[in-house]
Amino acid sequence: MRVLVVEDYAPIRKAVAKSLREAGFAVDETGDGEEGLWYATSNDYDVVVLDLMLPGVDGLAILQRLRAEGLVTHVLILTARDTVQDRVRGLDLGADDYLVKPFAMEELLARVRALARRAYCAKNPVIAVSDLRIDTTTKQVWRGNDEVTLTAREYAVLEYLALRAGEVVTRTDIWEHVYEFTADADSNVVDVYIGYLRKKLESADLPPLIHTIRGSGYSLRGPS
Amino acid sequence: MTQSIRVRLLVWVIGGMAVLQIGFATVVYEVMERSLRDGFNAVLASSARTLSSAIEQDGQRIKVDIDEREFPEFRRARHPDYFQVWSESGEMLARSSSLKGADLQTAESLREGTFFRRLRLPDGRGGRAAVLRFVPKADDESSRIGTPARVTLVVARDTAALDSEMALLTWILSLGTIGTIAVSLVLAAVIVRQGLRPLDVVAADIAAIRQDDLSARVSAARLPSELRPVVQRLNDLLRRLEEAFGRERSFTADAAHELRTPLAGLRSTLEVALARPREGGEYRDALAECLAIVQQAQALTDQLLAVARMEGRQTLIAPEVVAVREVVDQAWRPHAETIRNRRLTLAIDVPPSAACVADRGLLLLALSALATNAAEYTDAGGRVEVTAVVANASVTVTFSNTGCRLRPENAAQVFKRFWRGDASRGQTGVHCGLGLTLAQQSVEAIGGSASASIDNGIFNVCFILPAAPPNRVVS
Repeated sequence: MRVLVVEDYAPIRKAVAKSLREAGFAVDETGDGEEGLWYATSNDYDVVVLDLMLPGVDGLAILQRLRAEGLVTHVLILTARDTVQDRVRGLDLGADDYLVKPFAMEELLARVRALARRAYCAKNPVIAVSDLRIDTTTKQVWRGNDEVTLTAREYAVLEYLALRAGEVVTRTDIWEHVYEFTADADSNVVDVYIGYLRKKLESADLPPLIHTIRGSGYSLRGPS
Repeated sequence: MTQSIRVRLLVWVIGGMAVLQIGFATVVYEVMERSLRDGFNAVLASSARTLSSAIEQDGQRIKVDIDEREFPEFRRARHPDYFQVWSESGEMLARSSSLKGADLQTAESLREGTFFRRLRLPDGRGGRAAVLRFVPKADDESSRIGTPARVTLVVARDTAALDSEMALLTWILSLGTIGTIAVSLVLAAVIVRQGLRPLDVVAADIAAIRQDDLSARVSAARLPSELRPVVQRLNDLLRRLEEAFGRERSFTADAAHELRTPLAGLRSTLEVALARPREGGEYRDALAECLAIVQQAQALTDQLLAVARMEGRQTLIAPEVVAVREVVDQAWRPHAETIRNRRLTLAIDVPPSAACVADRGLLLLALSALATNAAEYTDAGGRVEVTAVVANASVTVTFSNTGCRLRPENAAQVFKRFWRGDASRGQTGVHCGLGLTLAQQSVEAIGGSASASIDNGIFNVCFILPAAPPNRVVS
């Protein structure tokens, strides 16, 4: 899952970005409103964490521009403005959630996870595909009754495929939702991680889950 | 004395009414008593004159020829009248049979005429007498020998009827007075209550004002004209209180709002640091970050405290003659490096003779805020001008800088607490929108005024300060 953090107060921005990264999200961050708008309109983020009082372009203007351009990226407003009018205005302008500073990092992570799931119409934090189960809260994965240990990047690729289970997901899609904007990697690395996942999830006595769609990408699905 | 207006009014009204009633009753009593007594006296005098006509001088002898049969009042069985006649030598000449041999008290007056007195009758009852002292007529005046002899005739009557009438009058007047006072008490209580009802209305209106809503006002529309000034003053006080509480609420809300950002940063940084076991270097970084945040928050609270003290007029002011150039130079000194790094042109045109009367510390605070502002917000390579003009007993100090990106209409807001040209809180603790507020408050505290204008990208702040008297200017 890829998240954009637009927050001008550096200590908060750094802490939120670090926490999200440690939770397995790919995070882009900026402290400038104009740059934030450019990031948000140039990439396909699962969630945008947006401060309201920003230099350059303020958060509500960014939100309006996103919605005006038809982007449905889920936006979590993070602000010190706590009046009912502020919340109503933010939500009416198209925000999906609203969190007032100071906040508990755990709550922020939970809200970001919920918004990320909502992006793929998944309400249950446990995603099940055939005998594969993924707990998006604890980042645990089981195949049948056996827990499978994955690295953060492997988990990120699998979670994205699972959220789009049954669909054909291109390498670019996977790359864009798993890697940060500044990541020094190319889409071939996706194939490498698919290989790692297959080794850990599949065996001779277990049916394959990750199917290669030649010329398009991959699809996670159980045996038909 | 009680402090209750109601009781005081009642006491004064009832006391006044009682004094008036008693005075009135006394006057009525006196008039009636005099009238009855005069009537009684007139009857006695008339009787005495009638009897005197029956006393004649015959030569040297005084002849009393009173036939009681013609005067039934002396023969009544109950409460008869009495008379007695004495010669000038004190010899008793005649007396009524009703005296039954007893004597009436006489008077030792030597003057002629009629006068009246109270006396005790022989039967012990109280009475009143007319004393007539006269020279009896003679049958033949030529036969009168020697000096005319005077006789004293006393006619007395008991005063039981008169006393009874006076007692009745006393009762009537006493009861009338008491009754009138009682009725006055009731009427006064009703009138006072009615009269003070507007006070009750005002009290109810005041009681309805809640501590959390000072926008309510006491209506003066239907109040008597005497109470309107009081209510107007009260409403003025409420308005001032509302404004003061509003300012305080706004200040508290602003302060809390401003402190949220560093608090959020602190909490986030600590939570992330504690979220999992980390290397020592990561903890050091987190602690350094927290220290920086705390320093920013401290700077913010210091400024908040300064604003609060300034608004609460808790700042001590020591006015003195201050050379403006000296303080301007002092204000710019910390920014020398910034000016160099940002290639700013600083032009100071402040004559050394320009001097004002001000608290040096507050003036430095105000000018430092302007210098900091100009050093930070002037466009790189831009120009800052500082001028001072002495005219009309004031010194006008102006700071102008290029590169202002604010709109002209923003000029009115630059002195507002926590107002920033950019809503960003990224520089919390460094730029928190209090510098110009403090500058304005400082200038006003030393008796000056501050204004700002924005014209074609040039930001001007103007301080008008009280000039030092010419003979005290430091050259």
